[in-house]
Amino acid sequence: MRKLQTLVAAAVAVTLLAGCGGGTSVPAASGEASSAPATSGDTLVVYTNSNGEGRGEWVTAKAAEAGFKIEIVGAGGADATNKLIAEKNNPIADVAFGLNNMYFSQIKAEDALEPYEPSWAGEVEEDLGDGETYWPLVKQAILLGYNSDKISEDKAPQDWTDLWTKDEFKARYERVTGLGTATAQLVFAGILSRYRDDSGDLGISDEGWKQVEQYFQNGSPAVAKTDLFARIASGEVDMGQMPSSIIAEREKSFNVNVETVIPSVGVPLAVEQIALVKGTEKKEQAQKFIDWFGSAETQGEFAKQFNSMPVNKEAGTQANPEVVDFFADLKQQDIDWDFVQENMGAWVEKIELEYMT
Amino acid sequence: MSSTPVRRMARSPFVLVVGVVLTWFIAAFLVWPNINVLMATFFPDGSFSGRAAEKLFSSQRAMKALGNSFLLAVALSITVNVVGIFIVLVTYYFRIRGSRILFLGYASTFIYGGIVLAAGYKFIYGDKGIVTSLLVLVFPGMDPAWFSGFFAVLVVMTFATTTNHMLFVANALKGIDYQTVEAAKNLGASTWTILRRVVLPMLKPTLFAVTILSFLTGLGALSAPQVLGGRDFQTITPMILTFTNSPTSRDLAALLAVILGLATVLMLAVMTRLEKGGTYFSVSKVSSELQKQDITNPVANIAVHAAAYLLFAVYTLPVVLIVLYSFADGAAIQTGQLSLSSLTLDNYVRVLTQQSGLRPFLVSVVYSALAALIAVGGLLFVARLLQKYRNWVASLFEYLLHIPWILPSALLALGLIISYDRPNPIVGGAVLTGTTVILLIAFVTVKIPFTLRMLKASFASVNASLEEAAAIMGARTLYVFRRILLPLVLPAAAAITALNFNSLLDDYDTAIFLAHPLVQPLGLVIKANTDGAEGVDGVANTFVYTVLLMVITGITMYLVYGRAGRRGSRKRRAAVPPVAAAAAPPPAGASISGEDSKLPAAPVR
Repeated sequence: MRKLQTLVAAAVAVTLLAGCGGGTSVPAASGEASSAPATSGDTLVVYTNSNGEGRGEWVTAKAAEAGFKIEIVGAGGADATNKLIAEKNNPIADVAFGLNNMYFSQIKAEDALEPYEPSWAGEVEEDLGDGETYWPLVKQAILLGYNSDKISEDKAPQDWTDLWTKDEFKARYERVTGLGTATAQLVFAGILSRYRDDSGDLGISDEGWKQVEQYFQNGSPAVAKTDLFARIASGEVDMGQMPSSIIAEREKSFNVNVETVIPSVGVPLAVEQIALVKGTEKKEQAQKFIDWFGSAETQGEFAKQFNSMPVNKEAGTQANPEVVDFFADLKQQDIDWDFVQENMGAWVEKIELEYMT
Repeated sequence: MSSTPVRRMARSPFVLVVGVVLTWFIAAFLVWPNINVLMATFFPDGSFSGRAAEKLFSSQRAMKALGNSFLLAVALSITVNVVGIFIVLVTYYFRIRGSRILFLGYASTFIYGGIVLAAGYKFIYGDKGIVTSLLVLVFPGMDPAWFSGFFAVLVVMTFATTTNHMLFVANALKGIDYQTVEAAKNLGASTWTILRRVVLPMLKPTLFAVTILSFLTGLGALSAPQVLGGRDFQTITPMILTFTNSPTSRDLAALLAVILGLATVLMLAVMTRLEKGGTYFSVSKVSSELQKQDITNPVANIAVHAAAYLLFAVYTLPVVLIVLYSFADGAAIQTGQLSLSSLTLDNYVRVLTQQSGLRPFLVSVVYSALAALIAVGGLLFVARLLQKYRNWVASLFEYLLHIPWILPSALLALGLIISYDRPNPIVGGAVLTGTTVILLIAFVTVKIPFTLRMLKASFASVNASLEEAAAIMGARTLYVFRRILLPLVLPAAAAITALNFNSLLDDYDTAIFLAHPLVQPLGLVIKANTDGAEGVDGVANTFVYTVLLMVITGITMYLVYGRAGRRGSRKRRAAVPPVAAAAAPPPAGASISGEDSKLPAAPVR
């Protein structure tokens, strides 16, 4: 006991006497650290928002097999975007992947991406990316799903707008309480794009804003840390927004059945991309990594493992057939992404300030 | 403690050294990065526009949320004090049966907080909660969703934030000279009068400090309103976080943060004014240890016992349920259905056998420990000087040191990045981004305001005559500091270090922007494993991490605080000259009984 006490006392004393604590010890340490460059050796630093549910580990392990030493830095889509932009004068990342086209076009606008044409550029539809700096990997549909045990297909909503115009769906759908997530932003991109009016507020007609108002007034607000599927299971709500990739797994976990609505205008697609970070010191290595990760083989394996829908046509043959079929039938909503990208920030702000209650 | 002219202050070499280091630190890490980020936010094209203010003030939702945050802050400052003082009194002041068990229950908030705590309360009082189900059986007509809105948020946050009372007010109480109580008794004062006129006034510096913290907690409320606030009681913090993340709306986030920050500074100013000029220590020459008081009125005695045990149940139930639920699968957690057969170790196996393994835990422990020690070590000198010298220079420094309370941590982090992503002469021409040091700097800075407030309060309770006596006998400044003052505030300093350490362990907001890619702390791993659109495993993992953090924080509090308390008391007796020791009331933060050595621990959130 006495020894431990002496030890603690000594530790405190050392901190105190080590040149007046906080003040001088910090620059001393920074001196050391700055003499050694940030990232050691040949490790590629990869930023992604697509590292959850074991994907980060999987990619790291597979990359090691292929001869790449990578370090995944996981962050939400918005966080990763802000981080890449904030660090543009002295980038830490070499490659970024998983962010959707909206996020990447923001990063590109800040001049933080380096143009590169991957070896597999010919195997993907060019217009899913920008054909210059960021290149498509995986498709994700943003859907309206409903509890099919409770609502039959002919009684189900046909489109998002039914939720607040038809009485039977009012208060039966979950509405978001924040627009911080990519999924929520894409839902609104899909709804607002239909009401484009260059003379309207932020390029949207009054009618369009009325839809948003109705959406918030009539929905049941989402509950923090309670998944939509949990609420469907307990009968609190019957429907809400969901990205296509999570449906199968959540149905099983919560023991519910969900069907999705395909509106006549189609559904918004989020396309996850990959890009080279401008100013990387390991450009060649990073380019090789992009070539490897986007290749039909790697994307095929990834799709098999995580039920994703690869953009790479050849990789599609390895993906889960159910997923492939679903996307084959899916009608994609025609969205002018440049228009959306230009306005999304302002839309989110307006919605948060004026319509969320 | 009258005000000291600046010129006289500047004559002491000790003051000069600390002053120079402090000025550099404040300029380099508090002022410069934040000016940069605020400039970039408010003057994006070099010209100012009133856009942010105009947008915010015309938004009904923003104004209502802002109002709610203020309402919560004011209400919490009152309720936390009422509950906090009550639990401190029943554990340490009155003779209550089983007070040590009560203590363990009340101390449970030391080891957990945030969204899981709110979820824990929801398991009990929510519409499918245990207590609600029982109540509905008794009163069939009642609304199962009774526990929501302002009332629910206030209740949960009140019980969740009494940590500072249990640590600092309790220790200040133990430091009261029992002779003052006895004297009052001899003069015929009642229990209530003694409490109100003798005991509580001596706790004032600490009560002021914890009141500011409660106010701040209320202003920054995030998870409790999200889980329990419902439609009618949402606060401003979620909006600030959304806008911080959107480059085009960041000016709104900064403006909101500045409004909250100014309110905090105002509160600080009021409290500082109230604190001024008081004497918060006994001046008797022979002090004695506090003894527990009987409640003589039998009715009052029973009522206090009943209230104490009711509170015990309120404090303990959520922890028990969280530990239980951490063994259940995510679907059961979210739907609130728990059966004993569904409890397995799967969640723990999944979390602990990840590829990253224990490394993030180690990284976080090292970062948090370093940051906690540096913050407390450095500020010991500063708090002492600010408490001793009262003039405009000292006040200016004090307010500047509160800057980290004004801005959300994401903005602080962005400020550091944009200021130090190229060689900067302020830090000797080094580039800080991408180094392991930048996160440490951020961790130290975010902990400065809390550390300073609590340290200053504990210095305020030190009897000045001790120092004068030493000085008269020829002791030099550093000697007095080292041999007289330090032993007196060390127990409080150790407690603050432990709290800082605990609260940094799972930090995400700062680490996400500043962590070195190869040295990633726990917060990032937790986020990756718990976010996933709040899926099934994600929510279960949240509970597992909470329980794991409870274990770590419990151990640290036991090691650092429990033992430091004992050491403090023993050392003080040895170190301080006998006469002074007798005259010295144990300081705020000193624990002399050693009773709390079993103390579990806790992050302040």
